[in-house]
Amino acid sequence: MAQVEIKSDISGMVWKIDVSAGASVNEEDAIITLESMKMEIPVTAPANGIVKEILVKEGDVVEEEQTVAILEV
Amino acid sequence: MEQNSATGNEKKEPVWQPEIDELNLRKSFAEQMGGPAGVERQHKSGKLTCRERIDNLFDPNSFREIGELNGKAEYDENGKLIKVSPSSMVIGKGLIDGKKVVVAAEDFTVKAGSSEQASPEKMIFAERLALDHLMPMVRLVDAVGGSIRLLEKNQSTKIPGYDGWNINLGLVPIVAVALGPCAGLGAMRVVASHFSVMVKDISQVFAAGPQVVAPGTHETVTKEDLGGVQIHTKESGMVDNRADSEQDAFEQVRRFLSYLPPNVYEAPKRQDTEDSPDRREEALASIIPKNRRLPYKSRKILELVFDKGSLFEIGKDHGSSQITMLGRINGYPVGILANDPMIMGGSMTHTASEKIIRFVDMCDTFHLPVVNFFDQPGVAVGRNAESHSTLRMAVRAGMAISQATVPWCTFFIRRAFGVAGAIYEPRSRATIRYAWPSAYWGSIPIEGGVEAAYKRDILSAPDPLARRNELVEYYKRFETPFRTAEKFLMENIIDPRDTREILCDWIEEAYAQMPRLVGVKTRTMRI
Repeated sequence: MAQVEIKSDISGMVWKIDVSAGASVNEEDAIITLESMKMEIPVTAPANGIVKEILVKEGDVVEEEQTVAILEV
Repeated sequence: MEQNSATGNEKKEPVWQPEIDELNLRKSFAEQMGGPAGVERQHKSGKLTCRERIDNLFDPNSFREIGELNGKAEYDENGKLIKVSPSSMVIGKGLIDGKKVVVAAEDFTVKAGSSEQASPEKMIFAERLALDHLMPMVRLVDAVGGSIRLLEKNQSTKIPGYDGWNINLGLVPIVAVALGPCAGLGAMRVVASHFSVMVKDISQVFAAGPQVVAPGTHETVTKEDLGGVQIHTKESGMVDNRADSEQDAFEQVRRFLSYLPPNVYEAPKRQDTEDSPDRREEALASIIPKNRRLPYKSRKILELVFDKGSLFEIGKDHGSSQITMLGRINGYPVGILANDPMIMGGSMTHTASEKIIRFVDMCDTFHLPVVNFFDQPGVAVGRNAESHSTLRMAVRAGMAISQATVPWCTFFIRRAFGVAGAIYEPRSRATIRYAWPSAYWGSIPIEGGVEAAYKRDILSAPDPLARRNELVEYYKRFETPFRTAEKFLMENIIDPRDTREILCDWIEEAYAQMPRLVGVKTRTMRI
């Protein structure tokens, strides 16, 4: 199984964690939701897989291109 | 008496057969390019040869080469031809979807496409041919740039530059494909275009490659890091699109040209479509969430409205809060603007502004009417945004839009706020505007505005948060688009499901204006 880094395209604050490590997700499912520019922006799975690790917690500020989770595909 | 034509059974050799044989021999040298070793090296590095590229780009058997005999010849002591090493550039004309296009392609198998074995006149000729005969120009660039050996060949140095390399971008569509390491003049030829595309892993574009960078700035960097798809289609936006393969790149070139006229003196051409102008998509009535904090997928809206399969996105990975696409409505080509609320809330960043300027100038030059799906929260804010002169870039984008003379239609689908809320159409003419019921707008958003105007009132209240929310609720009643329409400050509010039908009606009016629009555009200085 290959590991894929899930990166945020934008900067923002982690609003909520949508899935836990170990969860099975489909492509485009929200992994975490960021609050940015007064909106709730999902960071989504790039492919079907299993979430190996979530690297941020609620309230964290993430930068553009920061890896927020690891997905096993 | 000498008989020229074979009237009987015997067939005589044509008078000019020896010369025709030499012609064919010389052509065969051109076909061999840099020789089997050079061709093998090109294939091993995952690249097609320039002649394979031309075959892939053009309609079958349509390529007509110009200057095939150009090269460096060797003769024996009797003046008999031994061989010709062809020039490192192949030029000619061919058909793309039946339309004539000029091509100039570097041959990397000959001295790495370097200017050392190119005739500068050949490249200039191709550009002049496109310009004077009003045909689109495609550059297939695969060249390492200038060579120091040229000094030895010429026994002198020269001031850089060629006439014609800054061909007038206001006359014919110019498309560039980076197909290898493109440095110096090669990189310039990629960038100075209306649409550019580069292929992942094999293409790099830079002012100078790593070997020049290292002694210059003491920076050690790989060529992929310095000028690959990551930096130029995403970070810098210097190249519009990335392609996964050379075939993908050629398909993108064909696609781009399909929307454009061959020159500015003609209108873009309509294509037949099977998609009905009356198609009404139910999803449009629910696609914008009621909860204003939730974003939506703007590309989905565009897919539902425009002709099926007709969208072609330009610059997807750069300035991504703004979407720019070419598409068709009832068969007519149009330029499309839309905000992407998923990226920076869809706001006007400095990169989004640059993207708008480049795209709108291109649409205006080639008379593509523009449709704008507008959801603008405002100019990007914060120290980073200020450091990039974002407001001035936004104003420049506004000027580019205002200077455009093409027909323009805007759908207000959600927000229109602040300075950027005014940047959506050329403001000096009869406006074509429609709003969806999900739209709301203003000089300042209510939430932040209430806190600024009622600061003391809120702070002195027994429950400041409750007072703030009370004020927000009070002001929200004024925010419905219907109140704006009552005052004729928004001409039309529509059922979103009617959007396609409205556009199909409008596009006929837009294309009826073409006789006035065709020709060369002039623009004034922008700030």
